[in-house]
Amino acid sequence: MEYRARKKSSKNKVYRVKSTLVSMVCFISFQAIFFANNIDQTLFLNAGQAYCVDGHQMAFMAFNSTSVFEQRNVQLSVEVGDTLSLSVINNDTIVHGFDIKGMIGLRDTILPGDTAQFIFSSSNLGLFIYYDHLNYPNHAYMGLSGIIAVGINEQSFFWNIKDHQSEWNDSLAYGGVVDWLDYYPDYFTINGRSNPNINGDTTARVVGGIGDTILIFMANTGQAEHSIHFHGYHCEILYSTISTSHIGRIKDTFPLKRMEGYVLRLVPDQVGEYPVHDHNLLSITGGGLYPFGMFLTILIQ
Amino acid sequence: MMKILLSVLFTCGTVFLYAQTNVFLIGRTLGEKIIANGDTMRVFGFAPNLSSHPPIPAPLIEANQGDSVHIDFWNVSQLHHHTIHLHGLDVNQANDGVPMLSFDVDHMEHGWYHFKAPHAGTYLYHCHVGSTLHLQAGMYGPVIIRPSDGSNTTWDGGYAFDTETLLFMSEFDTFWHSDSILDHEHDNSAVHDSLEIPRYTPDFFAINGLSDQQLEDTVELTSKTNYVNYFRLVNIGYCSNKVIFPGSLNAIVVDSDGRPLPNNVISDTVEIYPGERYGVLAESGTPVLDSIEVHYFDMMTGVLKDVQYVKVDIQIPNQVAELPNLNNLRLAPNPTELELKVTFDLIQPATIGFRVVSIDGRLIKSELVKRYPNGNQSISINTSNYSAGQYIISITDGTRVVSKQFVKK
Repeated sequence: MEYRARKKSSKNKVYRVKSTLVSMVCFISFQAIFFANNIDQTLFLNAGQAYCVDGHQMAFMAFNSTSVFEQRNVQLSVEVGDTLSLSVINNDTIVHGFDIKGMIGLRDTILPGDTAQFIFSSSNLGLFIYYDHLNYPNHAYMGLSGIIAVGINEQSFFWNIKDHQSEWNDSLAYGGVVDWLDYYPDYFTINGRSNPNINGDTTARVVGGIGDTILIFMANTGQAEHSIHFHGYHCEILYSTISTSHIGRIKDTFPLKRMEGYVLRLVPDQVGEYPVHDHNLLSITGGGLYPFGMFLTILIQ
Repeated sequence: MMKILLSVLFTCGTVFLYAQTNVFLIGRTLGEKIIANGDTMRVFGFAPNLSSHPPIPAPLIEANQGDSVHIDFWNVSQLHHHTIHLHGLDVNQANDGVPMLSFDVDHMEHGWYHFKAPHAGTYLYHCHVGSTLHLQAGMYGPVIIRPSDGSNTTWDGGYAFDTETLLFMSEFDTFWHSDSILDHEHDNSAVHDSLEIPRYTPDFFAINGLSDQQLEDTVELTSKTNYVNYFRLVNIGYCSNKVIFPGSLNAIVVDSDGRPLPNNVISDTVEIYPGERYGVLAESGTPVLDSIEVHYFDMMTGVLKDVQYVKVDIQIPNQVAELPNLNNLRLAPNPTELELKVTFDLIQPATIGFRVVSIDGRLIKSELVKRYPNGNQSISINTSNYSAGQYIISITDGTRVVSKQFVKK
């Protein structure tokens, strides 16, 4: 489920002080950033069991919008210039952390049951990955890594790409130790789902028309690398968190390194239903079966 | 009479404007390939005829930008279904080669794929049935779309080049090539074939289907100093690649996935992931005897799995007093000020290139691979912005070079 951050409420006193200061800053720059919003969002750090495409279950963690565990992270979307105030509640029984990649001085630790406050804003279109930086990469790998999309339009879509070696999830959940040099994932997901279920996620499945300007915010929050290939269309790279020299390139295949995010612009010039998938074709599998991995379709009508 | 003439002219014009490229391919599943250790491995592939094993990579599909391309695809492969996906060519859904969204081709059936060649560049084709398995089995090949005029340039109005080298990277896991893996069942009623995919542990790392000694014996760049060498890099494997050019080649990355880059990148290292293509120009003013290194990385762990080498041998063109087909080479005025006129006589029509370098070896100007008719020829070079000093103009027919000096006042 997509969860767009709601407008600021006044429930949290500590938060209200911070956001008042932020509001003043925003007011000063009002002429430059029209109608910038202050947005509250509470993230519940939950642990639970994720269902894989074949019904297999594995230990998983996620930043959810309620205290009820869901196997996908909250998708945060803001306009350029908005200020996002995050309250992160640690619902787990161990210490966790919170950081936004690329934001200096933000990270903090959160004890079990505690809440920590964070403020984020960006003056440019882009994509940021929020994640648990403690015991990296284990906590982030277990699911604690999501996307903040900045500069969304009416046709924005979000792909949070992950991979899992399911036995490792169960091992890490009980304090086990893994050797990342032996990593061989068996499940590959976008927003917590695999083919064919990804197409049922309206925040992931691109549906549009000829000439539309479609923005795709995609991030690799897994531990494998991926190479996302579009059938039918080339896209322009508007933003990359790592491969900044690639900005402006028009391509059909996009390498995604670990913890890398892209913003792509797609302007379809033909109708049809076309696949998008990882061209490391090992990732189009789920539980060792093709084609139950990282594969969805785009529908242009 | 006029109407008939106009009709004939229109027909001829239409044929000229919309050139047609016809391709014939046969899908096979009982191919054999000799790998670097001398063993024979079973492969799937696309063959040009029934009498030969399918080559890996499959035959090159080549067309000019704007051409209509028609692929007549026959499937002669027992129980297996296949398709042709035209990777990166942005064809319409019906020709996209994804079985559930277009069509697949059963044993002893055939299908047509049609597309109009879009942007000049480097592309791929491959089977999209059980693609994780069928690609590894060998069902992939290159597509090169040349500029509209078919010239040796990267794209319409792009960079001219003298030599062209395709480096097509992949890997082989020989366990996957056993009958028990390759002979999977096909369910006509299913949207997809559901296939068990074994763990991938490639044991041969290939360029143009060749590894190790096979590669050393077969694939190399042999060129001349000051020639522009264009590399088409393609990765269709399941590893990421890092292609490292010798520094003396002055590599410049100019295009990717069939589109020019907005900004060229001067770098001797190109990272290329599965499904990507890159175009790289490389040129050396001095002889080079070295290798291009291709590194293969496991995409799950980032671990380097292998390195393959492509020999590079760049030599100085044979300096001769005269080219046999070119007489009376003259430079005037010499010394020059604003314009240098180069005149010569060609006995036969020929492809001639010239370069101007400063006396200290800096490349000032190059014009490559232009076709001239026989007879007296003239080239004018604007020297108004040249610094005062001595220059050398070299004229080549591709194998030999004749040089003359001139002075800019």
